[in-house]
Amino acid sequence: MNRRFWIPLGCAVLSVAVFVPWVVRAAGAEGGFDGVLSSIEQQYHVRATRIPFMNLASLIAGTATHGGVGQVHIAEFEHFTRPADGEELNRMVQEKLGQGWSRMIRETSRQGNEQTLIFARPEGNRMGLFILDLDGNEMDVVQVSVDPDRLNDTIDKYKHHDGDLNESN
Amino acid sequence: MRRRMVVWILATAIAGAPALAQTSLQLLPPQLEKDLAAKATNVSEVTLDKNMLGFAAKFMNGSDKDEAGVRQLIESLDGIYVRDYEFDKEGEYSMEDVERQCLAFVAPGWSPIVHDRERKNGEISDVMVKLVNGEPHGMFILSAEPKDLSIVLIMGPIRMDQLGMLKGIGGLGALGNAEKDKPSKHKGDQKPTDGGQP
Repeated sequence: MNRRFWIPLGCAVLSVAVFVPWVVRAAGAEGGFDGVLSSIEQQYHVRATRIPFMNLASLIAGTATHGGVGQVHIAEFEHFTRPADGEELNRMVQEKLGQGWSRMIRETSRQGNEQTLIFARPEGNRMGLFILDLDGNEMDVVQVSVDPDRLNDTIDKYKHHDGDLNESN
Repeated sequence: MRRRMVVWILATAIAGAPALAQTSLQLLPPQLEKDLAAKATNVSEVTLDKNMLGFAAKFMNGSDKDEAGVRQLIESLDGIYVRDYEFDKEGEYSMEDVERQCLAFVAPGWSPIVHDRERKNGEISDVMVKLVNGEPHGMFILSAEPKDLSIVLIMGPIRMDQLGMLKGIGGLGALGNAEKDKPSKHKGDQKPTDGGQP
């Protein structure tokens, strides 16, 4: 009885666990950074170049800044030749980033196909930042989590270091 | 059990409603904002609520005298909202419509300090201040030209002599002139630029 019950149930759970994320991904319903990239890829028929070993780079950035900067995601779209409608792009990003993110800056210029969107989300002591910048035929998308206090400490450290170097020269 | 759950859900929704309302301060009605953005050639929108300002303030070095002043100012503010639209041709937006909707938003409790209408050039300027116990707790600026529209809303306690400190924030560059234009003790009496009362 037990085996008859648990084996089919296990198979069903496994199937759901494997297929649902795949179906959701295929439908472009994933959110966050990857969701935004997928939507842009689908909408504008472009391919994002993801930076290899980004997780490692993010880890190094976090260590170097003592946790000032973390969870770095970077992607680049080259040959972005289609004109981007500011309103549509803004809606798409807002929709995919989901709740909690609010837009801080929006700059749109139809001359030269320029778009800049900066979204922010409070993450406790940290702040998540999402930046999308389209300039001509190139679009850069960056997401990062920043701890202003720790980052300031790191910047201050290098400022003092620069000051010492200038004094010695 | 089910009733308790329904009560809990309702209580959560009621508790969350003011928070949602607080974060959804709109400088312009959403539809008007969309229409303006759709027609404008260049759009600049800055939305910094108290959370964002607090975050931005953290990046300012407290040991630097100037930055410490800006930090203090920014931390005390409740929000900075800027909308700037540039149009290719004249008549792409209704100046009267924008003026009516903006003034309806700020009208209660706000006092006009500048109300300028230049019929010849089709330009309008409005500066309004929200006074709480005689102290300015908000400033609203509307500047409309046939091909250019700028709206600025600064919420929170602000002193006029500190306005120039905000020039570094996108869309508020013109406030840098406020410092230069500050009346000096050596100069004679300066007449206000007030164009009259509405």
